[in-house]
Amino acid sequence: MATELIRMEHVNKFYGRVQALEDVNLVVNESEIVGLLGDNGAGKSTLIKVLSGAVPSSSGKISVRGKEVTIRSTTDAIAQGIETIYQDSALVTQLSIARNLFLGREPVKGPKFFNRLDQEKMNEVARELLARVGISKNIPPNTPIGSLSGGERQAVAIARAMHFDSDLIILDEPTNNLGVAETQGVLRFVRNARDSGHSCIFIAHNIHHVFQVVDRIVVMRRGRIVADDINPKTTSVEEVERVITGEELVVARG
Amino acid sequence: MENRTFLQRFISKPEFGPLVLLVAELAVFWSINHDFLSVLNISNTLSFTVELGLIALGMTMLMTSGEFDLSVGSVFGFAPVIMWTFFNAGWASLEISFLIAMVLSAFIGWANGWFVTRVKISSFLVTLGMLLVVRGVGLYITDGFPQRTWSAGGHWLASALVGDFYIGSFRVYASLFWFVGIAIILGYVLTGTKVGNWIQAAGGNANSARARGVNVNRTKVALFMLTAVLSGFSGIISSIRTSSANPNSGTGYELEVIAMVVIGGTALTGGRGTIIGTVLGVFILRVMRNGIVLIGVPGLAYNIFIGAIILGMMTLHSVLERRHQAGT
Ligand SMILES: Nc1ncnc2c1ncn2[C@@H]1O[C@H](COP(=O)(O)OP(=O)(O)OP(=O)(O)O)[C@@H](O)[C@H]1O
Ligand SMILES: [Mg+2]
Repeated sequence: MATELIRMEHVNKFYGRVQALEDVNLVVNESEIVGLLGDNGAGKSTLIKVLSGAVPSSSGKISVRGKEVTIRSTTDAIAQGIETIYQDSALVTQLSIARNLFLGREPVKGPKFFNRLDQEKMNEVARELLARVGISKNIPPNTPIGSLSGGERQAVAIARAMHFDSDLIILDEPTNNLGVAETQGVLRFVRNARDSGHSCIFIAHNIHHVFQVVDRIVVMRRGRIVADDINPKTTSVEEVERVITGEELVVARG
Repeated sequence: MENRTFLQRFISKPEFGPLVLLVAELAVFWSINHDFLSVLNISNTLSFTVELGLIALGMTMLMTSGEFDLSVGSVFGFAPVIMWTFFNAGWASLEISFLIAMVLSAFIGWANGWFVTRVKISSFLVTLGMLLVVRGVGLYITDGFPQRTWSAGGHWLASALVGDFYIGSFRVYASLFWFVGIAIILGYVLTGTKVGNWIQAAGGNANSARARGVNVNRTKVALFMLTAVLSGFSGIISSIRTSSANPNSGTGYELEVIAMVVIGGTALTGGRGTIIGTVLGVFILRVMRNGIVLIGVPGLAYNIFIGAIILGMMTLHSVLERRHQAGT
């Protein structure tokens, strides 16, 4: 039996009167890639926002490695080793690649009082990381994010998660807007993450991408988890699609 | 991109436009009236310049973080009134009165920041309210009358703030060193430090900065406090230099300061700021004010030129920005 990394129990989330999450229970094990599927508005983003501290849950319990934790902010989540790459990209367009990579955890050099950025180190690491995520073009690390393509931006966000070695990396639709090569890069990254002992929650609308990399599929519908143990190796894409839309609808359509 | 020449990189800097404008301005005024670059005129211009300049430095940091402050002019008038009221009434020594004025200024900045970050009201509305509150308090406690300040003469604090001395025939005020020193420190903070990265990120995309664990609210509150303290400080400097603490002084400064900052190339919307640009912007407006009087244009026409400069510079920044986006 694999060791448990994250456990969410009886999590509810209300946005005013809209219930976005209803009694959600989810477990992610160490070195496990979990695919989270569901139609638009099913509550996937809300679930991972609760886990990453971006929004507070209305009720429920979250444990990391068996210990109950309170995640009130993204800082708390990062401290627990939970790193998130959001659907709506979380980069500051005015800042350079290197400054974005290290935002919030900038290396400093010299006496502490001077708070001096170690820009050489930032640029050096940035160059290295860009190559690792498959950007073969020679983009200077001091280029502002605003002048990168959508795919390049996504790659920068992923490079950041790679560098800071988190236990759990959450990717909310990371392959949106990506070209073929970049998509392959992301999928390769997710597979590597497992091999190096990281866990991932991977959200994507393209079921084929999910099938290619995940160990287990979890399906949400209208704020609930309706299936949490689908094995992509023994289940067909069509079967999963039926779970996502809800059997009834499929029957009604004939 | 890396093989661009030094000249090209220099031209594409946001400070380039303001620099050209300043040089052109100096050239035009000088060619019309050679007295313009006389030692006396330069030293007079400098002494006025640093007072608005100090506020503009704080405002640059604040605007880079995506907020701005309309209450700076009121604090500029309020801080000296407080200091001199305490001192003249014999309640405290000059040093303590100065400290009280600074602490109150910081508190005003903190309150601005608190309303903006906690209550989540836009900084336009918060600081507009604060402008009226602070000015009102200043007028109320003085009954609208200026406070006596002559007794400061020779006090060490007065010399440290505005004491003057001559380098040859060039009269220099101590306040110039405060301005230069603070400009260097803030320029370094903004571009070379961790905190500077947070400030830019807070203004560029507050949510993603938060998602990275940056304390955006605390950063903004600190910058509101910095701006208010610099405004109060500059108000006190001005009151000692002109020997008057008038509760009405500083009226309208907020807009002139914001104009200086944006002319220098700092974005009104946040995320991008330049201290060098602001220093240039400060000089552009001050030189303009001084120059048009010297060349015989009625001082009342000043606002026409300021308005035209703002429109012209904003157009230039916007064109450059779009050219940059489209690629050259
Ligand atoms: N900030 C918010 N305020 C109010 N309602 C919200 C908010 N965010 C999400 N919701 C609601 O919560 C529900 C779940 O939204 P969520 O973003 O989690 O869906 P999702 O599964 O990520 O969808 P998608 O696949 O389109 O990204 C939706 O009905 C949405 O309208
Ligand atoms: Mg979503």
